[in-house]
Parts: sequence; structure tokens; C-alpha cells
Amino acid sequence: MKTDDLISLIAADARTEPPPAPVLALALPLTLAASMAGLVLSLGLRPDLAVALADPWVVAKGLLPLALGGVGLVLALRLARPVAAPGALPLLVAALGVLAALSLAAALVVTPAAQWARHALSPSAVVCVLTIPAMSALPLAAMLAALRRGAPVRPSRTGAVAGLAAGGLATALYSLQCTEDNPIFFVLWYGVAMALVMAAGGLAGRRLLRW
Amino acid sequence: MRDTTGADWAELLRAANRGDAAAYARFLRAITPMLRGLVRARGGGLGPETGEDIVQEVLLSIHLKRHTWREDEPLRPWLYAIARYKVVDAFRARGRRIDLPIEDYAETLVAPAVADPTEQGDMQRVIAALDERSAVIVRAIGIEGASFAETGARLGMSEGAVRVALHRGLKRLAALRKRMVE
Repeated sequence: MKTDDLISLIAADARTEPPPAPVLALALPLTLAASMAGLVLSLGLRPDLAVALADPWVVAKGLLPLALGGVGLVLALRLARPVAAPGALPLLVAALGVLAALSLAAALVVTPAAQWARHALSPSAVVCVLTIPAMSALPLAAMLAALRRGAPVRPSRTGAVAGLAAGGLATALYSLQCTEDNPIFFVLWYGVAMALVMAAGGLAGRRLLRW
Repeated sequence: MRDTTGADWAELLRAANRGDAAAYARFLRAITPMLRGLVRARGGGLGPETGEDIVQEVLLSIHLKRHTWREDEPLRPWLYAIARYKVVDAFRARGRRIDLPIEDYAETLVAPAVADPTEQGDMQRVIAALDERSAVIVRAIGIEGASFAETGARLGMSEGAVRVALHRGLKRLAALRKRMVE
């Protein structure tokens, strides 16, 4: 086909697709709600939730992943446009990571060394590392489906950031069930779980976010 | 040859986004020499036919992703970002790794207008792979210059249905192009 004819063809097409954000505004809350429902029906929320929230570690346990997920969400949407200007967002992610590391350090200081292994190797680690990715699956699918409507020029990286968003938000929800309140446990195992989701997002992005 | 300013192109694309098909066609014709220049500058050795195939691929991508341009942003960087991504991808799929620096657009020379070399190219092949109705629509509107009404009458479809089918057909063309080259 001659290029000039292709141009005539293209110019006749006035229809456009919706960009990622409106799609996500619908799909992400729905998928997170579904994951939350799944959590409540299977493992249930922690019975002492109201009391536990008086403990600053418990609040941090939910807020840190929530913040990471939120920043990931904004960053992913930016990366979905070809002239992506990430701005200070990656620095923000790094800063939150540093906060998490500092929490871990503080916990190591205040917790007797004899108890470190008990926290780090708690059997709930298995539940955590399995459940968070499971809860992230639908939200990650929603993110990828929405981001496909954009034009990300770094598909793999964008997928990983989508994983950060989905993983962070799912972890925040999961923390409402989890009774391990020592950062030695949750910085380590939530970190591992979120890293798994980010890796999955990066791999999926490589295939699904190309255009 | 100096190419026209990004500001003119932005005005054309803005008009196009408001539904001005004539402005959209002018926009696409205006940017094509720049795209050709980009591809030729990097793709020496792949031949003019393949180069034109890649130019067509870039044009189609710009069309399908035009909603990713914010009208208050400069146009040239957005245009170039899309072209850069597709050109690198197109060359990689054909076994050539090329490098396109991000600032290159400022220095890109416009390729002189030559007779369009591609008659039987990649696009022709994927049109042949389309379903019958979409192929008829593509040929009628693209090559024969038929209107939506005429095309609809020919196929027993409403004008609106033809518009929807055209859009879907273009998306399908892009997907088939990607798959075909990979």
C-alpha cells in the first residue's frame, strides 16, 4: 500500500481509545475489593485490629506499603506516556525504601538478639509470601490491561512499576490480617513478596506492554 | 531541507483531535518526510522498501497512540519518542540493533520527497490477512478514496458501523504487523 493511501486511510479514522487512567479508576478499586473479599473470607482480619492500630509499628506496617503502592500507581501512569517524566517519584520510592530499612534497623536495636530468628523465621512467612502475590494478581492484571492503552517506551520497567503498585496496595490490605508486628518480620517478608510481584510485573510487561 | 516548526504541526494535530480529518491528513503528510529522514539516517543497508515499511508502521502507531499527547505539551518530543521506540523495535525485529539518542530530533534532516517506493509491502501483506469485510473497507477508503456512506452502501452497513469497523481494522493491522515481523 502506498504511504499516501495509508495516510488517507488513517486520516479517515476519527475514533480514539480511552487512555489508561479512566480504565484504571474503575478496574483497580474493583480488583482490590475482590482481593480484600478473598482475604476476609479465607484468613479473616486480625481480631485485635482496633487495639493493634495503637501500635506505631502496626500503623507503619500498613502505611509503608500503601505509600509505595500509591507512588507506584502514579509513576506507572506517567510511564505509560512516551514522553514519560518520572520527576521525583523514583526518589520518593527510594526514600520509602530507606524508611523501611530504618524501621528494620530500629527493630533490630530494640529487639533482643536472641529473638531475631524467631521473628524472621516465623511460619507465617509462608502464608505472607503466598497470599500477597495471590492478592496482587487481579490488581496487577487490571494495571497491565489499563497500561496497554498507553504507549510505554520501557515496557519491562513499566510492568515492574505496575507490580510495585499492585503489590504495595495488596500488601497494605494484607497487613490488616497479619499479626506479625515486628519490622524484622514484615520489612523482610513484605519486601520479598512485593519484589516477587514486581518481578512478575516486569516479565509480564515485557510481553504485554509492547505496542 | 528544513522541516516545518513543531508549532504548526501541533496546531494541525489539535484541529485533528477536534475532528478535522483534512487537518489530520495534512499533519500526517507533513511529518512523513521527517520520519523518512529518521529511518534512512539510521537504516542504511535495509533498502528503501523496508524503510518505507517502517515509516508506515510509525505512522500507524502515531495514529493509534495519539491520545497519549497532551495538547499543552510540545509536540516534537512526543512525536520523536514514538518514532524512536517504533524504529528501534522495527530494526530489532529485522535483526539490526540500532541506537537512537534521545536528543536526535533536533538535528534530523528531512528526507527529500521521492516517489513512494512501496506498493507491495508489509502493509499489503497484512491487509490480505484481514477478514474480508475489513479488507474491503481498508481498500475502499484508503486506496479508492470512497466515502463512509458509499462504503457502507456497498457492504450493507450503516456509516457509523463502517467507522467503527475502520478503527478496529486499523488496530488489527497494527497487531498483525507486529506479529508478522516478529
